[in-house]
Amino acid sequence: MQITSQDFKRVSSLKLTDPRLQKAMGNAKGKLVVTRARSILELDNFEDIREAAARIRDFGLQHMDVLLEEWERNATAAGTIVHWVESPQDVNAKVIEIARNHGVRKIIKSKSMLGEETNLNHALEDAGLDVRETDLGEYIIQQSGETPSHIIAPAVHKSKEDVADLFAEKHGRRRLTDIAALTHEAREILRPHFLDADMGISGANFIVAETGSTMIVTNEGNGRMTTTMPRVHVAITGIEKIIPTLEDVSMILRLLTRSATGQSISNYLSFTTGPKRDADKDGPGEFHVIIVDAGRTRILGSEMREALRCIRCGACMNHCPVYQNIGGHAYGWVYPGPIGSILTPSFIGLENAIDLPNAATLCNQCGVVCPVKIPLPDLMRKLREKQVERGLRPWTERLGLRMWAWAATRPAIYSLLTRIGARIGKIAGGSEGLLHKLPPGGAGWTSGRDFPAPKGKTFRELYARRPVAGKGAKS
Amino acid sequence: MKVGLFVTCLVDLMRPNIGFCALRLLESAGCEVVVPADQTCCGQPGYNSGDRKAAQALARKVIEEFDACEYVVVPSGSCSGMIRAHYPELLAEFPDLRAKAEALAGKTYELTDFLQNMVRLDRVPGKFSGTVTYHDSCSGLREMGVKSQPRALLAKVAGLSVREMQQPEQCCGFGGTFAVKYGDISSRIADLKCEDVLSTGADALVLGDLGCMLNIEGRLRRRGDNNTRVLHVAEVLAGELPQD
Amino acid sequence: MSARENILKRIRAANGKTAPASVQEREAVVARLRAHARGPLPSMNWDPLPRFKERCIVMMSTVHQIGSRAQLPQAIASYLRENSLPARGVCWPEFADLDWSAAGLEFQSRPSNGDDKVGVTGTYCAIAENGTLMLLSGENTHATTSLLPETHIAVVPASRVVRAMEDGWDLLRREHGDLPRQVNFVSGPSRTADIEMTLVMGVHGPYRVHVVVISD
Repeated sequence: MQITSQDFKRVSSLKLTDPRLQKAMGNAKGKLVVTRARSILELDNFEDIREAAARIRDFGLQHMDVLLEEWERNATAAGTIVHWVESPQDVNAKVIEIARNHGVRKIIKSKSMLGEETNLNHALEDAGLDVRETDLGEYIIQQSGETPSHIIAPAVHKSKEDVADLFAEKHGRRRLTDIAALTHEAREILRPHFLDADMGISGANFIVAETGSTMIVTNEGNGRMTTTMPRVHVAITGIEKIIPTLEDVSMILRLLTRSATGQSISNYLSFTTGPKRDADKDGPGEFHVIIVDAGRTRILGSEMREALRCIRCGACMNHCPVYQNIGGHAYGWVYPGPIGSILTPSFIGLENAIDLPNAATLCNQCGVVCPVKIPLPDLMRKLREKQVERGLRPWTERLGLRMWAWAATRPAIYSLLTRIGARIGKIAGGSEGLLHKLPPGGAGWTSGRDFPAPKGKTFRELYARRPVAGKGAKS
Repeated sequence: MKVGLFVTCLVDLMRPNIGFCALRLLESAGCEVVVPADQTCCGQPGYNSGDRKAAQALARKVIEEFDACEYVVVPSGSCSGMIRAHYPELLAEFPDLRAKAEALAGKTYELTDFLQNMVRLDRVPGKFSGTVTYHDSCSGLREMGVKSQPRALLAKVAGLSVREMQQPEQCCGFGGTFAVKYGDISSRIADLKCEDVLSTGADALVLGDLGCMLNIEGRLRRRGDNNTRVLHVAEVLAGELPQD
Repeated sequence: MSARENILKRIRAANGKTAPASVQEREAVVARLRAHARGPLPSMNWDPLPRFKERCIVMMSTVHQIGSRAQLPQAIASYLRENSLPARGVCWPEFADLDWSAAGLEFQSRPSNGDDKVGVTGTYCAIAENGTLMLLSGENTHATTSLLPETHIAVVPASRVVRAMEDGWDLLRREHGDLPRQVNFVSGPSRTADIEMTLVMGVHGPYRVHVVVISD
């Protein structure tokens, strides 16, 4: 996926005035926030489960090497062929190698955000392979040549009219506008590919150390098709997806499906352990799992470590006031919203995503819904600190803050400056008591809002002058 | 109770009346209130901008200024949150200061939380005929646990009734320097908050944080609304509303 | 050094550990895996069978209960007739002995090839918590039968209804030991909300799931 995070300001401004996106985001927000809240009520011990989930994820990070080795031992015993790769390019090369070794021409794919990180589809297409996304949202954006704008609902930014136009163009059929009809048309179009694809590629929501399994969480059935129908199945997974036991996964799933889509359970939970057994009459003859680092060990050893607890539910972005208004594309890479503001700079470099950790109010609406208690605003703040340390902030900002601190640690000077400021501000506010324009640096405020004027005197000066009897002085 | 009042830099510069209302409320509750004369800022602007050193310098000063107080009360969720939720981490690399930061954090309260839960104020001087709606500031709510306290206190104001917004807990879009750095996104978020406020038909919006106040009021006025009053909860409870 | 070695070494370094994992650490981790303790579960103050049926309906399956296995063909025939569905399809081998023709049905005992409209499967067990079928792939429990046909009919013995997924895993460990190629937890017909967040039933998996519970 092409990286456009450095374009955040321009793109986010455009998105704010894009009526179709605004309508789509408004529609999505209501549904995702409300349904999640309702479904969480089903768990009378939600906070206990959440705490336990965070601890399991931390255990997984802490003992990742031992757990991965256990996973590998069990997976191999079941007949899985395990590959370890270090870089994004290695992932693509490995998949192509497996495809070539098996005479694969046609590939079906169920969703993988890791595949987006490595630009897997493009690499496969460049290698002359026919790749089809099968998750409806991913299929739609593959057809339209776009990137996903949300990690759970990749086509959330598109209206049904957009999809109707797209299908009419790509499928060469009569244009339909009914959402159910469009969905069923996609089913018909993709169906033959499920039945004759040579290879299926899936991601993994989790991999289970206890049994050597990989598991995926889906609703459409494409995940089951992808992992059952073709003769070769390849699953790609980040190292951080490791969970100790089946019980741990079952517990976390209660939080995942509710946090993501407000479902008590997702339609299909599929645990794959090895290829078809000798006596099985269906299933892939070979099952490969590619275990991927691609920057994760670096994050593991950094202050952003807790971000690796992420179970990709999307709750943080669904509840983020910034994301709700600008959508996912402005973030410029695979992961949008609060988690994206942390993962994107961590994967692609802080200097390539300067805006992301700053374009947040630190309201913590994300943190309170994160099922694994990632301290998202704290991590964003740490990235802001890193930017300051590395001199990535504009010098005007650095100077302004230093001047503020310098003055604020000198009460007499501060007092003088604020008394002057309060008077000037009051005069500038005129009879309305409002400033319509602020000095340079404040244009971001007054482009969309007035600034209420100060009242003309400071608290400190009034307090110092108040009669000793203790009556409050009016300003 | 010996209480140190930390008025906050925004109150000092923009709305001294809020500071005096807080003072009046605490004194009417029988507290002995000390207002350290040299107080300036808690350091949050620097902290949230990633300038740790600047923030640490200010935190040191605040710790020293309020060291002798039994309690520290702040008419702001974000500034009290800065002290309680963040000072200990901010000064973690200075072991001697960290202990003091923790001590200060342990005795710092947001104003309505202090009045409701510590002082257990059972009557307030304020009167207000009309309806108000209350905006839960993010740090007040999520760092300081402020939710029911202002509403319980407002219920004691003669003539006042509270009508809730659809989403009182939704961020108003202020976010400190975010409001200027990403002004168009900030204004849009503020605009949605304004619509929520206006949908209640309330005479006034009441809140506990001046940052949110300036932001929402600024957007209301730019939208052409000059009728909805925007008031700090201290002003309403103390019955000393700003002269219009 | 191989990619595997590099990655494992970097993981250890990232966790502040210089040496490879000690015997104690390994044993502690393996012991935790072996114990596979349950995490906190939500309250489940309900009877499994009524809860299962109620949740199946919430997940948009249809449910019917019959008294004995022998009644299956007639029960299925009624369901297919009432819903104007074809009277033929595929079934798992365990149902081959049933008197399908007496009910006017033609069910072949083989995996589905994609043309079949109706698939009849059993279940390994059923999870009451969310109205879920736990299906194991296997020689006689073909994965395609519950996936390719438009209509999936699942036969659930009442005695195989358990409360939670955790109970399903315990059962599986006790009765089978190892996991099969694929374990699928199926909760209703396939669905998506990818277009304008509007729910549509019937995407790539079955359009409809009919559960027949047999009292036993």
